[in-house]
Amino acid sequence: MFLINCPYCGERDQSEFSAGGEAHIMRPKQPTELSDDQWAEFLFMRKNIKGVQFERWNHAHGCRKWFNMVRDTSNDKIHAVYKMGEKPPSK
Amino acid sequence: MLNFNTPIIDTKEYSEIKISEIEPILKINLRGKNRDFITKIGKELSIITPVDQNTSSSNEKLNLLWLSPDEWFLYSNDKLDIKDANSLEDKLFNEISKVKLGSVTNVSDHWIMINLKGTKIFELLSAGCPFNFNNFKNSKGAVTQTLFNHIDVIIHNKNINNLNLFVRRSFSSHLWSWMNDSARFI
Repeated sequence: MFLINCPYCGERDQSEFSAGGEAHIMRPKQPTELSDDQWAEFLFMRKNIKGVQFERWNHAHGCRKWFNMVRDTSNDKIHAVYKMGEKPPSK
Repeated sequence: MLNFNTPIIDTKEYSEIKISEIEPILKINLRGKNRDFITKIGKELSIITPVDQNTSSSNEKLNLLWLSPDEWFLYSNDKLDIKDANSLEDKLFNEISKVKLGSVTNVSDHWIMINLKGTKIFELLSAGCPFNFNNFKNSKGAVTQTLFNHIDVIIHNKNINNLNLFVRRSFSSHLWSWMNDSARFI
């Protein structure tokens, strides 16, 4: 269990949130021009690294807003939280 | 508006805790993003639209709660008759939804309002909420959406040791039973 600082509601318990996977994955502009492998790469393949990762989270049991988070997956330390559309902090 | 049908209709008193269901209460969900929408709500309801997180504003008849940057929850202080409720809903619908400024949804039958009074209400809430009530309990008008015994709730701190809790109708009987069970041991 850990606390997450929702950019809209403030600090809340992790149980109020749901994780939405890796952030900043760009949807291909012309999906029809992609091969099956390229489409599968976009759709399914995620880095899932042990360490600092950029993630999407949703405050599901609060304001129901999506936001981004920089989290160390090895110890759940949160380095930054920022709204959708905002520039990610430099690595 | 649908006919109000309430699943609980009860009041229970324990030492330092009084739990009562208060229905029928008018409840309207308001959603919109632009500044015109926020101004319009304030004008139509004669109420200042709360734009700060976890806050609310009230007048004699109504309470307006901040739910998210583009969502508000309006509910009446008193039990309203259907005619009054319909006229307010129609007024908001015509001024906001019809001109595509935002959305107005009557959720009177969707949420159940339970009033909690007493000096130990926060002990009861703390038994099932992951939310930290330390600052909340001393700020009049504070609002939070959180989990209570794994159930989504909206909590409005009306006054010191007096709060209104909103729970979805389908969860209300279960939460009511759970609260009564827990209150006996606090």
